[in-house]
Amino acid sequence: MAKGTCPNVDHGPMPSEGRFHMGTASLTWYSKNLTKPFTGFARPLANVLFIAAAMFPGIPGYADNTTLRLATTTSVDNSGLLPTLIPEFERESGYQVHVIAVGTGKAIQLLRNGDVDVVIVHAREQEDKLIADGYGVDRHDVMHNDFIIVGPMNDPAGIAGLTAAVDALQRIADSQSLFVSRGDESGTHAREKQLWGLAQINPAGTWYRATGQGMGETLQIAGELDAYTLVDRGTWLAYRQKSPLTVVVQGDERLLNYYGIIAGNPAKYPDINYQGATRLIQWITSAPAQRLIGNFTIDGEPLFVPELISR
Amino acid sequence: MMDQARRPLLRYHELEKRFSGDLLFEIPEFSLHGGDCIVLSGRNGTGKTTLLKILAGLIAPDKGWVECGGKRYSWPKAKDHCRRNVIYLHQQPYMFDRSVAANIDFGMRLAGVPAPARRRRTDEVLAWGGLEYLAGRNARVLSCGEKQRVALARAKVLSPKALLLDEPTASMDKEACEKAYFLIKRLQSEGIAIVIAAHEPQAIRRIANRLLQLDAGKLIDQTVLKVSDHDDAPRECFRE
Amino acid sequence: MNTLAQTTENALILLFTGDPELWNIIAISFSVSLRAMLFATPVALVLAFLLAYGRIPGRRIVISIMHTLLAIPPVVVGLTVYLFLSRNGPLGDLRLLFTQTAMIIGQMVLCIPILLAMGHAAFQGADRRAWETALTLGAAPWRAMFTVMHEVRFGLLAAIVAAFGRIITEVGSSMMVGGNILHYTRNIPTAIALETSKGEFAQGIALGIVLLLLAMILNFALTVVQGKGVITA
Repeated sequence: MAKGTCPNVDHGPMPSEGRFHMGTASLTWYSKNLTKPFTGFARPLANVLFIAAAMFPGIPGYADNTTLRLATTTSVDNSGLLPTLIPEFERESGYQVHVIAVGTGKAIQLLRNGDVDVVIVHAREQEDKLIADGYGVDRHDVMHNDFIIVGPMNDPAGIAGLTAAVDALQRIADSQSLFVSRGDESGTHAREKQLWGLAQINPAGTWYRATGQGMGETLQIAGELDAYTLVDRGTWLAYRQKSPLTVVVQGDERLLNYYGIIAGNPAKYPDINYQGATRLIQWITSAPAQRLIGNFTIDGEPLFVPELISR
Repeated sequence: MMDQARRPLLRYHELEKRFSGDLLFEIPEFSLHGGDCIVLSGRNGTGKTTLLKILAGLIAPDKGWVECGGKRYSWPKAKDHCRRNVIYLHQQPYMFDRSVAANIDFGMRLAGVPAPARRRRTDEVLAWGGLEYLAGRNARVLSCGEKQRVALARAKVLSPKALLLDEPTASMDKEACEKAYFLIKRLQSEGIAIVIAAHEPQAIRRIANRLLQLDAGKLIDQTVLKVSDHDDAPRECFRE
Repeated sequence: MNTLAQTTENALILLFTGDPELWNIIAISFSVSLRAMLFATPVALVLAFLLAYGRIPGRRIVISIMHTLLAIPPVVVGLTVYLFLSRNGPLGDLRLLFTQTAMIIGQMVLCIPILLAMGHAAFQGADRRAWETALTLGAAPWRAMFTVMHEVRFGLLAAIVAAFGRIITEVGSSMMVGGNILHYTRNIPTAIALETSKGEFAQGIALGIVLLLLAMILNFALTVVQGKGVITA
């Protein structure tokens, strides 16, 4: 058996409990394969760890066929969209979805490492690179919304009402108004950098603060500092009641924010749950799921525009 | 019966112990007989405690082997036979942080004695040592004399063949000393071999039937010096 | 914006109305950390004993390393465990990343140095005569070890409480190797981090209250038990 393959891979979801139980076959497989990269003391150590893990039937020894690991950008999860969608999918498909909410950059890295089965992300350049490198397959557009620039009520840069995002950034830089950046290689950060690039500005100085944190934290920090920041509309709608900031710039085509779903490449990692990923992709691009996305609102305002049906 | 008495319980051969290369002592042969009461004297630092711990199987000598029940054992195998037959009492016996009765119960429990028998023998040995009034007390809070008596009772209840006492009366007043020696003599009369290490042997000469001195790495038999007040009683009392 | 008082009030309401989401998170936290302790404690205490009583070569180095590891940030442990468990890592084939098992491993790595360092200190404080007395009264070495453990039980208990306190509150490692998956690897600290990032301060405070209560109960319990020890010793 080749290294990295699992004996019970890809036969669809297993019935009933769907938890990994240790059997003799698995043990043999394990001792043949796991210990390959390891010699000496690490071998018994790894054995102990594995057996300890398998002693608890409630814990999967490793991801099994009924578990699907979805890494996603925080905006999709924290806004409440995924908590609405995922239970529907789980009910229909029988899969159990483990949602790991991280930035787009990290989500893509997780897929590249084979640590998750599927991602929902929003950074087209990074997505294309992932696919070109052969780690991602079956990319589909799922939905879009838009980014907006939010800022303090008194609007020190005087950009309220502008639609051109690049102009707005230019004015922020010119007036040295405080701007808070995610600075975490997330999809939002990627878009922000792209816009600065279009404005031909290398943002630096005391007015430019990179938080290195998620969208929620960054919005909070911007609120405390009376600063401008770039935010996706979904997160903004979820947070706006707690924020002292207000929308200053919106409506630029360059602020459109496309979310795509990408499966891990089974040719790279044969034992990832490609079947489950495919199932999720099929489902999320289907009319009923797209309708769910379109109908998802916060305070009566829709957050996402489904890509594959007209509303 | 005399034959049996002459046959040693344990015989140690060619014991040698070094500390970081320097010879501490070298003992060609040493036997323990039932009913023996040996006083081991010697100045501080001559290795009396080390010798007792080797005899009890608590530390290993650098060389040596043991004869027990007609068979020869070398270390580390020998230590099991030493531990099985010999109990060592520290200068200040260590009391486990539990009641006196539980301290006495400790060894029997390890030996797998059933609970009713353990209770009965604990009561017996408490009465033997005059310790009934202490039974429920935490053994840590006892006086030195009481601790020594509990330690003797704790050893007796296991019926060892030999008992090794390290300076048993070093920090006791006269009355406590008397009580302890009374118990030690009774143990000896029951056929248990006693070895007492003491750097001042005068006080305990009267109960000894052998006097040994550890000096400059050699074990010297001085029993002959004591011939005048030698008393064969312990050996006559020995029955098994 | 919520005031502190309002937030705390909401938190207490959430807690005592038995909000199922909240209690699920609390249950996961305890289940994971207790299992980590269950695996780590026996190993660590036996090792601590060997360090104190055995003649182990390089013992001082081991002890120094353990004391150094006491200061390691959980997030570094998380990163290390992550690199081991990630697909391309040496243990990647086990597929343990983003499971409770991964969290347990991370927490074990975090609590073993505390158990070792504090356990070793406790054993060092024990009287060597206890070990010898147990042996001479017929105890096998492993049995004598338990006897010594019983003698220093308060010190060991303090080590266990300190270790548990560290892992039940750590967020860095659990977040990184557990992934903060709802109903599965979302424990109290990662939930606090998430709720705070979402601006849901009430949830965060409620969970914080649980941790505080726990710390209080553990410490009171320890004081009571140790109080007994002091009186009788």
